[in-house]
Amino acid sequence: MAVPLSKTLKKLALGAIVPLAILALWHWASSASVVVPSISRVADVLAHPLRRPPDLDATSLADGLTVSVLRVALGFGLAALTAIPAGLLIGRCAAARAIFQPTISAAMSISPIAWMPIAIITFGLASPATVAYGDGAWRHDVLDQLRFAVVAVIWLASFFPIVVNTAAGAGGVKQAHLEAARVLGASRRALLTKVVIPSAVPSIVTGLRLGAGIAWRVIVAAEIFPGTRSGLGYMIATSHEQASYEYAFAAIIVIGAIGISLDGVFRLLASRVGHWQSKER
Amino acid sequence: MPEPDEAIRFESVSKCFLAPVRGEVWALRDIDLACEAGKLTCVLGPSGCGKTTLLRIAAGLDQPTSGQVLVNCRCRAGRPGLVSQEGDLLPWRRALANVLLGLEVQSVPRAQRKARARAALRRVGLGEELEECFPHELSGGMRQRVAIARALCPNPRIILMDEPFASLDEPMRYRLQEELLALWAQDPRTIVFVTHSIEEAVFLADRIVILAEGRKVREFAIELPRPRDRLAAEFARLLLDVRRSVAIRAFHA
Repeated sequence: MAVPLSKTLKKLALGAIVPLAILALWHWASSASVVVPSISRVADVLAHPLRRPPDLDATSLADGLTVSVLRVALGFGLAALTAIPAGLLIGRCAAARAIFQPTISAAMSISPIAWMPIAIITFGLASPATVAYGDGAWRHDVLDQLRFAVVAVIWLASFFPIVVNTAAGAGGVKQAHLEAARVLGASRRALLTKVVIPSAVPSIVTGLRLGAGIAWRVIVAAEIFPGTRSGLGYMIATSHEQASYEYAFAAIIVIGAIGISLDGVFRLLASRVGHWQSKER
Repeated sequence: MPEPDEAIRFESVSKCFLAPVRGEVWALRDIDLACEAGKLTCVLGPSGCGKTTLLRIAAGLDQPTSGQVLVNCRCRAGRPGLVSQEGDLLPWRRALANVLLGLEVQSVPRAQRKARARAALRRVGLGEELEECFPHELSGGMRQRVAIARALCPNPRIILMDEPFASLDEPMRYRLQEELLALWAQDPRTIVFVTHSIEEAVFLADRIVILAEGRKVREFAIELPRPRDRLAAEFARLLLDVRRSVAIRAFHA
């Protein structure tokens, strides 16, 4: 059923109240303080994403965004590749659950950033570029900035929500559905591909949504650590040091916008793949 | 040449479950039962009498604690068709895809699958317009029809039905009973039909087996001519006979 236009407008208007209040507060704060940049200065940075900050040892907003997105994509992609099979195993195998569940529960309560020093000790300044090009790694800046230490922290941050949700989905498959397929002659492999995975897909997508959100939040903190030379987190940290706050504000806005978009994409995906869940009788 | 219809025989089948509080619970005790090839056998009894356990053992979903199930005198895991009370359709698959499931897992050549699944849906009276519906978009009766089509599609010679019409209203139940008999008349297979409704059993069965507290208490051969008329005096008399003989022994055991 189509939603009436007046209802949509009302919803949009209500949703705009807080952002408009923040903008008003920001405008007041920028006129009252020299530290807070004006809305127009931040808008200027956003309008020229390729422009390099004049007095910063930093890349442009677009370059920072590219590096941050690549780091998250790599860490999150690796997390999805490892956590989904692990979650399926834990969800369907009591022995695997008994072995891994206590460790996962304990590890989940540790902030992903706490792993950063350990990741730096383990990986140092190694990156795909140092592996591929050795001493010539500096010539491949973007690749060199995909430091394994940062990627490992992103991987850890997204791994746990994905593995826990996948395990819950795989463990919650209705016995009746499994038996219906078994009676028809399904092998173990067919049970996995035709029943367990499709049944767990909504939970897997929920895990991916949570994992992507956490990865995106963690990247800012991870990019503040030594050894990074670009990324949105790095831009925020250095602009604070150089008092070029318009770049920090612009980076925060971009982070928020991408976070909302990412969440929206996964919400849409969840509603598509899990439409049957709420209607199941 | 079609395969000959298969008879199914339970030989001293017992099943014991370990319940957390009650300890050992015997769901079935020494069941000896023969379901004739091409006949419709109804297993009748109150809730908890072990009739679903009997069907699960026949389907290969549970193993008996003792005894064995023989199909055409051979001991085998078998691949009968099974229709349960709720249908157990996979909710993320559309009606046609649910019927296709058996063909997919049995590696039937891809080219044959859709035609066979569509034919099975037509046999249970579901048109093309319902093929792409998800189970939640279908009525209870339609879902049971899809479940019957799914069970029939791989062409099993034995069909096990566990109170398939119990959750439907009376008119729909009567209609599906008649449709089941029409399907069975076209292609008689061995059907084991579990129910707690005496009337349903008398209407459908060639033979009724009464279970109570995990034991077989009585068997009846129903020799009413088909098609059966629920309003006929003969049907009412037989229904009364079955009721009288089972009420005291089974339902109030």
